[in-house]
Amino acid sequence: MYFLRPRPSNLVWSSLKSQKFSKNWCRQLSQAQGPLETEDDWTDFQQTRTSLKTLTDAMSQYGSEQTSQWSLRDSLHRPAKDATLSALLASGAHFGHAASRMNPNFLPYAYGTRAGITLIDLDHTLPLLRGAAKVVRAVAANDGQIVFIGTRPDIRPVVQRAAQRLGPQGFHVGDRWLPGTLTNKWQMFGHETVRSKRIIPDLVILLNPIQNMNAIQECALSNVPTIAIVDSNVDPRIVMYPIPANDESPRTAEIIAGVLSIAGREGIAIRETELQRMRLAVDTAWEDFHKMHELQGEHPTEDGRPSNSNTVGFDY
Amino acid sequence: MNILRSQICTVLRRPLYRQLTTTARPFVPPAQLVFHDNLYVPGAKELDDSTVEALVGETNEREPEDDEEDPNDDRDKPHPDSPNFYTGRSSYYDNIIELQNAISRTRGTLQRLHLLPLPEFARKSLQPMPTVWKTPEEMTTDFETNMTISRYRRVTALLNELNEYLRIATTAGYADVADRIGSIISIFESGKKEAFLSRGIRKPVLLDQHGRSYTFGKRKTSAARVWMIPVKSTHETTSDVNVEEVFGLSNEPKRSSVNVTVSTILVNNIPIAEYFPQPVDRERIVRPLKVAGVLGKYNVFTIVRGGGTTGQSGAIAHGIAKGIFAHEPETGVVLKRAKLLRRDPRMVERKKTGLAKARKRYTWVKR
Repeated sequence: MYFLRPRPSNLVWSSLKSQKFSKNWCRQLSQAQGPLETEDDWTDFQQTRTSLKTLTDAMSQYGSEQTSQWSLRDSLHRPAKDATLSALLASGAHFGHAASRMNPNFLPYAYGTRAGITLIDLDHTLPLLRGAAKVVRAVAANDGQIVFIGTRPDIRPVVQRAAQRLGPQGFHVGDRWLPGTLTNKWQMFGHETVRSKRIIPDLVILLNPIQNMNAIQECALSNVPTIAIVDSNVDPRIVMYPIPANDESPRTAEIIAGVLSIAGREGIAIRETELQRMRLAVDTAWEDFHKMHELQGEHPTEDGRPSNSNTVGFDY
Repeated sequence: MNILRSQICTVLRRPLYRQLTTTARPFVPPAQLVFHDNLYVPGAKELDDSTVEALVGETNEREPEDDEEDPNDDRDKPHPDSPNFYTGRSSYYDNIIELQNAISRTRGTLQRLHLLPLPEFARKSLQPMPTVWKTPEEMTTDFETNMTISRYRRVTALLNELNEYLRIATTAGYADVADRIGSIISIFESGKKEAFLSRGIRKPVLLDQHGRSYTFGKRKTSAARVWMIPVKSTHETTSDVNVEEVFGLSNEPKRSSVNVTVSTILVNNIPIAEYFPQPVDRERIVRPLKVAGVLGKYNVFTIVRGGGTTGQSGAIAHGIAKGIFAHEPETGVVLKRAKLLRRDPRMVERKKTGLAKARKRYTWVKR
């Protein structure tokens, strides 16, 4: 935490009385001042700004009562756990590509056409998204490696955050997928790395599949399950779990990647709790075993059971 | 649903007797092998136990070849370290992400300190902090990837932004923030930074123990070495007392006496009047002293070689100008305005083929 250097206290009333709040302080802030020469000039400059902020914050409680508490959700840093129809609609997930370019295999997921573009039926999207989230959760819960691929500059931070949520099991590719990453791994990564580390991922999630057909082909060749956002000009059968939605909207990508990565995070948490439970069970079993042995050692009987005089009651 | 997968699975499915069909063992016709998983093969013979053991032993001892891999072994191996593993350039992208994180952290800190966003008048008063980043070749070793122009530009854009924040933090006086940014930036700074920033800056000429300056002047193909020393004035100013002035009986106004000394200029140990008979050359040599107003102040000794009269006099003038600047830096502005500190770059132009001289063409003939 960084604070300003020690100065007299900055309470609202003292600020109002001080020189900074002379008649001209408003003009000071809006108009250009002379160049700031010394460090004290800089401190004064910071002081003026802090005073204004304190004043605004203090006076805001006397302002009008805000009845609408709605604020825009930052779906990049704090995405929603479940996608709702209204959220997908608001992000433009239902906009497909030109109706003339529609792939005939996409027909089950198309709602219709309007203004020359195919509209995607979000009633199909939601259950498919939930199904894909289940897959991600299960793969993550079994210590699987999950790769997020989003190779446009606007969705690069989306895949980065999504991979971060999965910790050591999450990976991302924000720039071009190099052909041969999976099928030519010996040359790509070197013999040492391939022998010592897990190379083939357990799940691949693509946010722009059309630009990454190489990746889809390699996943098919390497038996890796794939999830992708398919738009209306794409054949949904190229991936195992298609999610029909608009692939050009960064907000849609944020929502979908958010849902999938949070499901993955839940899977990891499930695995952790399961491991903890197992460890606890093993530890308690060992403790019981040791206690049994101690008692046997003190009072050995014919059949090996401890004598009744000194038994401690065990609840089995 | 995945059509490609079903087609490829047949290709990748391994035959049951794969382990026994390589060429590194004595050949046994498959028809003579007995399969222990109840497959009926007509005419098959039982193998000796010893042969079976030898075959099994060989398969166990054999080192796994590069293309053969049991996918079940993969589950026991650890995850790759970097989240950028599948890009193929993990250290490059790791560094990019680290720089981006540093930028966002610093931006947050400066915003809390009300130093960002900075208005124009404050931005003008930031102290300049020129930096020289490593060359793409040097960065190639750091990032372990070939630094193409686009990758280099991406990295330097981030570094320049960090440098801006460093400027703001140092000018405002937050040393700890500045140190943290500086430690990150110093990793990417070129080792030749000082050399690069100081190019074109003249080295200051020092006066020796006797108060002499030693400078060098050049013009055309002449080079002159110039020593200048201030003339010691022997004239005593305080002893003269005018009796009339003291008693206020004089009618003349008091004149401030200027101490004018006489100086000598020697060229190759010969007085200037003898060495340069033409007044043009003498004027050229004395001009820097006149412009700076120090005409009789310094004794000048030069050794000049090469060229002719114009070149030699120009070289001496250049040396004298530099010498005056060494003794009195305040004259720098005046000398620069008069372009006397500049080494005149004009040299004799070479003769070209097809021309009589450098520019002179042969007479044009119609036919």
